[in-house]
Amino acid sequence: MTGYIARRFLWLIPVVLIVAGLTFILMHNAPGGPWDRDPSSRQVDAVAQARLNAFYGLDKPLFYQFTSYLIGGRNLVTKEWSCGLICGNMGPSYRVRGMTVQQYLFTPPANRSFLYSKAGYSLRLGVLALLLAVVIGIPAGVISALKQNTWIDYVSLFIATVGISVPNFVIAIFLIIIFASTLKWVPVIPISWDDFSVWVLPAVVLGFGTLARSARLTRASMLEVMRMDYIRTARAKGLAERIVIYRHMIKNAMIPVVTFLGPALAGLVTGSFIIETIFGFPGMGRAYVTAISNRDYSMIMGTTIIFAVIVAVMNLVVDVVYVFLDPRIKLSD
Amino acid sequence: MRSKWLVLVVVLVIASMVLGACQKAPAAPSQTLRVNLGTYPDILDPQKASFVNEIAHLQLMYEGLTKLNTALETVPGSAEKWEYNADATEVTFTLRKNLKFSDGSLLNAKRFEYSLLRNIDPSTAGEYAAITDDIAGAAAWRGADLATATAEQLAALKAAVAVKAYDTNGNPCTDYEQKTCLVLKVGTTNPAPYIHTVLSLWVTYPVKEEVVALDPDTWWTVAANHIGNGPFVLSVLEANSVANFTPNANYWGGFAKVNLEYRYITDSAVAFEAYKNGEFDIIGLAAEDLSTVQADAVLSKEAMIYPGSCTFAYMFHQEKEPFTDQKVREAFAYALNRDGWVKDVLKGLGSPTLTWIPKGFPGYDAAENRWGFDPAAAKAAIAASSYGSVDKLPEITATFSDTPRNRTRNEWLAGNYKDVLGVDIKLNPVESTTYTALTKDSATAPQMYILGWCADYPDPQNWLSVYWKTGGFAERIKYSNPALDAMLVEADKELDSAKRMQLYADAQKLLTDGAPVAFFWNNVNTYMVKPYVKGLTTTPMDSGWAGIYSAIDITIEK
Repeated sequence: MTGYIARRFLWLIPVVLIVAGLTFILMHNAPGGPWDRDPSSRQVDAVAQARLNAFYGLDKPLFYQFTSYLIGGRNLVTKEWSCGLICGNMGPSYRVRGMTVQQYLFTPPANRSFLYSKAGYSLRLGVLALLLAVVIGIPAGVISALKQNTWIDYVSLFIATVGISVPNFVIAIFLIIIFASTLKWVPVIPISWDDFSVWVLPAVVLGFGTLARSARLTRASMLEVMRMDYIRTARAKGLAERIVIYRHMIKNAMIPVVTFLGPALAGLVTGSFIIETIFGFPGMGRAYVTAISNRDYSMIMGTTIIFAVIVAVMNLVVDVVYVFLDPRIKLSD
Repeated sequence: MRSKWLVLVVVLVIASMVLGACQKAPAAPSQTLRVNLGTYPDILDPQKASFVNEIAHLQLMYEGLTKLNTALETVPGSAEKWEYNADATEVTFTLRKNLKFSDGSLLNAKRFEYSLLRNIDPSTAGEYAAITDDIAGAAAWRGADLATATAEQLAALKAAVAVKAYDTNGNPCTDYEQKTCLVLKVGTTNPAPYIHTVLSLWVTYPVKEEVVALDPDTWWTVAANHIGNGPFVLSVLEANSVANFTPNANYWGGFAKVNLEYRYITDSAVAFEAYKNGEFDIIGLAAEDLSTVQADAVLSKEAMIYPGSCTFAYMFHQEKEPFTDQKVREAFAYALNRDGWVKDVLKGLGSPTLTWIPKGFPGYDAAENRWGFDPAAAKAAIAASSYGSVDKLPEITATFSDTPRNRTRNEWLAGNYKDVLGVDIKLNPVESTTYTALTKDSATAPQMYILGWCADYPDPQNWLSVYWKTGGFAERIKYSNPALDAMLVEADKELDSAKRMQLYADAQKLLTDGAPVAFFWNNVNTYMVKPYVKGLTTTPMDSGWAGIYSAIDITIEK
């Protein structure tokens, strides 16, 4: 299995290269650049724009820019050579001038751990949201399947349908009005993220969609497994119902759910623009969205590559987890 | 016995000095004004910042040689006075004595020299640096090619910049510790009797060279590095979360009466909810919440809606048909139902205008009434144009930044022109940054589109010369009027204030004569302010929140 995992990691290299290449082509084909402002604002003057372009190498041919991004290059103004993506350098942010993309996303404030960086905040919230989704969603799906067509199933179906169909910004506003404005259990605007209670609403909003999907998926998968011959066999040989459910039904029903949860976690831990906008959450989701409209090229490249790597790694983790869930699966090639 | 008396006197003197020193630092205020600023700033380096939310931070922590008061007059800031030479090509600032930074260290003219030069320095590459290009030598140094210029050439260009600090005896200053270094001379390439107002802007704020040297790129990310000379000190700065300001005990102009807290909620519905819940004292009022506020007896009294600093116009490309014909431009200006737009589309959040300089700014022409909404005159103008009738006009496309709001707005405008002139306007929505890119260059600038201009500083020079002189911002629609250029050159160098204002008034009339664009509406600032916030005075140029120019006078009485 070690060889398989190593090979999969090596596959990351062409994946990253292709993702980087496509992103680079797409973003440079969009009109405008990082120095363009809201049309009603004063625009950066031609001299300053030329200076900034020269400083960041944006006046060079696109192929040169791309290879410098990947391998590194010499800054023609400062004359300093800097290594590129191969050394983990994701380039300078054009909007938050003075910071590199990795500094912007991964560097915590002074005297704080990584968990207090933008990526750290998003990671913590993502894991919390996933925990909520797993701890509530999967049991809800299992119970719905076992109690099919009872009121429990209908309530679960209703909540899951709401979770899937109602956009999370609507859910967020509703929760804020109920729990902050009306009940006053939490403030509308979190005073400090060191206080755990203020994490609950953002985590619920972020995890609600995943919770709903995992509940529906678990239910469907359970219903399918329940009708399998091996379940009938297990019961026929006199196994206790508890063991039939835990050992034979849930374990087998989890395979499609795990397939879903892997990429879902990638989506959760890389931050959410909606959550950050609504709750003032200091994560990295905003960087993804604003980088595009700001034409912050390095930030677009960096965040896309991070996302691609996380999705690829989560898919690998899913594949490895399969082995434990289903002994018939072998990771031999 | 005598020695005992002596000891007692000495003890009393020392005690009174100690107590006196203690009294010097006023107690920190117990109240905090909580403001939602919206977007977290990308940069807080005065010489690199340029956005409103960035300026809203810098304006509290730093101060220029001059500053704007709540009547938008240029008044002494760190300089107690300034004086122009006879032909207005040099201004001499005299600093207040014993000025201090927030850390208690000396602030002399050499500090301002450093910051002004840092703004011009090509290696700073400040995004707003062009605003000081009137300074002699500034444009040459700022425009130097860093890839080819030698260190000697760059040093010579720097030395040629007419910004120099002197001591009170007229000798060049030596260092930052020199107490007598109180004079700063700034020379300009052409007469520029408005440059003292330009030097109130944030790009001139004094930052400490030794602090910048800690890390020239990211020094501003640490709250403690903002050692400024403004009324407040930044005590906490947490990205995307919170910024706390406390009064600066070393500020020459007094001790602020409240602490300040900025938070960064960009979702207006959430900010409004937090405001209603008592978690904010000041927020921006979004258009979609306006009807809720107006219908509520309590909230409606807390809304502050007052003129802003921007004029929006329907821009017509002067070299793209049919707008090459003045009569067509006149027709489109006449046909624009500005009152209907403000009432139906902006829901009252704006005011119709027929002038470029808005109400509340020096140079506003209250008497201007040309090209106002007049359907009959619009049709007559088309008939008098070289096209003769609307069916002979070439295809007209209105381009706009594609948002749901702008779609509705532009559909309204197309309907307006269809109703009044019978002309079909094709709508061309484009992505917002693409829109900016298109509108920046005269070659790609659309046939007709809406664009605004917001004041950098309250002087007609900024509205007229910076925008409408040939090669200025109106270059994008290929506007060029030699007669207007000549008039603006005269106005820009006139030292006599009354004559100068008259020249600008004449220039604005001349500009309007040719109906180059259709002046459309002025924005309004819209905020919600809790009734217990007192001492707040608003200005059209408020950046970030209502009353920022009066921050030092604000109290909370609850």
